[in-house]
Amino acid sequence: MRFFLVPLLLCLAFALQAQTPPPSSAPFRDKQIPHEAGFRVFIVPDMEGMGSAVDIREVIAGNEGERYKELTGPDYWDRFRLLLTQEVNATIRGARAAGARSFVVNEGHGGNLFANVLPWELDSSAILVRGFPKPLVMVTGIDSSFGTLMFTGAHANAGSPGVLAHNFAFDTFTVNGNVLNEVGINALIAGELGVSVSLVSGDDVLIEETRKILADGFVAIVTKRAVGRSAAITYSPAKVRRMLQAGAAEAVRRERRGDFKPFTMERPYRVEFALRQTYPDSVVREIAALPEFKLEKTGSRSFRYVTDSARRMGWLLDAIEETVIR
Amino acid sequence: MKGLLPVFALLQLVAMRAAAQAQQDTTPRDTTPPAAYFGVTEYRLAREKLELDMQHNGFSVYIIADMEGLAGAVRNATEMRPVSRGGTPQHERFRQELTDEVNALISGARAAGATQFIVNEGHGGTLFRNVLVDRLDPDAILIRGYPKPIVMSTGLNPMVDAIMIVGAHANAGSPGVISHNFAFDSFTVNGKVLNEAGIAAFIGGEMGVPMALASGDDALVAETRDMVGPLETVTVKTAFSRSAAAVLSPATVQRLLRQAARRAVRRVKAGQLRPLTLEKPYRVRFCLRRSFTEDSWIRQTVGRLEGVTASGGQGCFAYSSGSAEAVGNMLNEVEWTVLKP
Repeated sequence: MRFFLVPLLLCLAFALQAQTPPPSSAPFRDKQIPHEAGFRVFIVPDMEGMGSAVDIREVIAGNEGERYKELTGPDYWDRFRLLLTQEVNATIRGARAAGARSFVVNEGHGGNLFANVLPWELDSSAILVRGFPKPLVMVTGIDSSFGTLMFTGAHANAGSPGVLAHNFAFDTFTVNGNVLNEVGINALIAGELGVSVSLVSGDDVLIEETRKILADGFVAIVTKRAVGRSAAITYSPAKVRRMLQAGAAEAVRRERRGDFKPFTMERPYRVEFALRQTYPDSVVREIAALPEFKLEKTGSRSFRYVTDSARRMGWLLDAIEETVIR
Repeated sequence: MKGLLPVFALLQLVAMRAAAQAQQDTTPRDTTPPAAYFGVTEYRLAREKLELDMQHNGFSVYIIADMEGLAGAVRNATEMRPVSRGGTPQHERFRQELTDEVNALISGARAAGATQFIVNEGHGGTLFRNVLVDRLDPDAILIRGYPKPIVMSTGLNPMVDAIMIVGAHANAGSPGVISHNFAFDSFTVNGKVLNEAGIAAFIGGEMGVPMALASGDDALVAETRDMVGPLETVTVKTAFSRSAAAVLSPATVQRLLRQAARRAVRRVKAGQLRPLTLEKPYRVRFCLRRSFTEDSWIRQTVGRLEGVTASGGQGCFAYSSGSAEAVGNMLNEVEWTVLKP
């Protein structure tokens, strides 16, 4: 009896593996955000790199899954989501002063499953993309009508000595051999559409490493200086807002002058990544079996994906995020 | 189908054992050495980063913000810890009081001509995140989070003109409210007893920076005067046990802090307050808190820190160095060893 059961169970396992579902956001990939006239700004606010934040308890609501449950109290995330919203408003004010007329804010932070900005407190002219999953994660809704892309509150790459440093679900991520942090990955997706990055804010480590990735430059705002993974020299939220407002105005002015170039690479893109060591093997197996992408396994948790489309790479990111967050 | 039942039972058993194993696996101690954590040993890096923000002209005040010595505070379990770390919502009110007292120091110092204010979180209850960031004087730089290099003296550098400590508590063993001293039952340098304020004064003193003001209960004020010499003090309460005191009104305390900070800056400018300097090499002796001493892993880990040798009984150690900064770094590694978040 046993002899029959072993192959039976193996078959069952394979059947389950082959059934790794496609990302649930797939049917929504062609949706577009309604067009608005005037200079359009796409803003991606994250939380780890925002002013004052240093600890995971400040950027997590506690409802993201088992791992995050006990991590927050009434004094942390709530207070920081208001500060986050105020940072975005300052960025919008600055951009508007320099002539921008249309604003899309796409939640870039996974806390509370990409719902951190307070819709009631956000500048009323902005369209807010919130919730999870979404087809292009941090740049969902971007298209070639946008005049510029801004990242606020961004954090340093996995392994960097920055506050709450990480990179999506990865320990390492490269395209054509170039190390990319989250800003770099999303800049590439936008770059393919002809949209360039004009502003990046975050801690000193994030700024330094992003200068190496986006070598053509951007307006940089250092919101704090990292002195530990969960400790930093920080400034008044009011001061950070002033810096963001002035920086966003400068960013739009320089963008309209043609100072910044879309971030592009040669095609096909050779995307190589290692999933985080901390994930269980089951996650690695599920990602290996994503039906649409046919990833090439290059190590125990490393994969290669070759594609002509950075947008497709973005869909893969969502498929991976859906797997690890599910 | 019937034949499958034992298999399912077996699988279930395996799953249960795996779950039990996983639960066990989450409890073992994190034994990574302190130096492997970014934030524990990077004293120099933190100092260099803060120096980028320092004013070269003007008068810079470095404020260490602790909580046990705040106006009104008497009880550790309910007032010093947030809900998320086993405390109560009362902690929130004391975060506001802390922020108000720091703001009082800043406004007093500013009135005497101070131009720059660096606030370093000194209380671990909420992992060094107690000051309400959006209610702090907007001119201030705030160093927050844990682990951070040299806990209470992160980034301290020679461009600072005066150190002030607010909400401070008396030394381990002293008759003060919530009295303690980092992870120690005793800590001496060259035979001189130092409390937490004294250790900060010692690290600053080597850089030529005086401790100009300390506020806390009567025990803290008396012992700190003895350790660091003349300085401005505010006695916010008279201790009647480790968890009882006769307390002044918070409004009164804030007024006294403003006045004392103003006098402190004036006296530093007039050269009346001197840095605390001790003779080199610094011969440090310390005994861990008894509760930590009973833990053999802690004893061994501390004993293996560079330059630390066992001396003078179980849980007691000696350390010698020509640098106060190095002493601070060693202290931080001990702190991280006993207090992982």
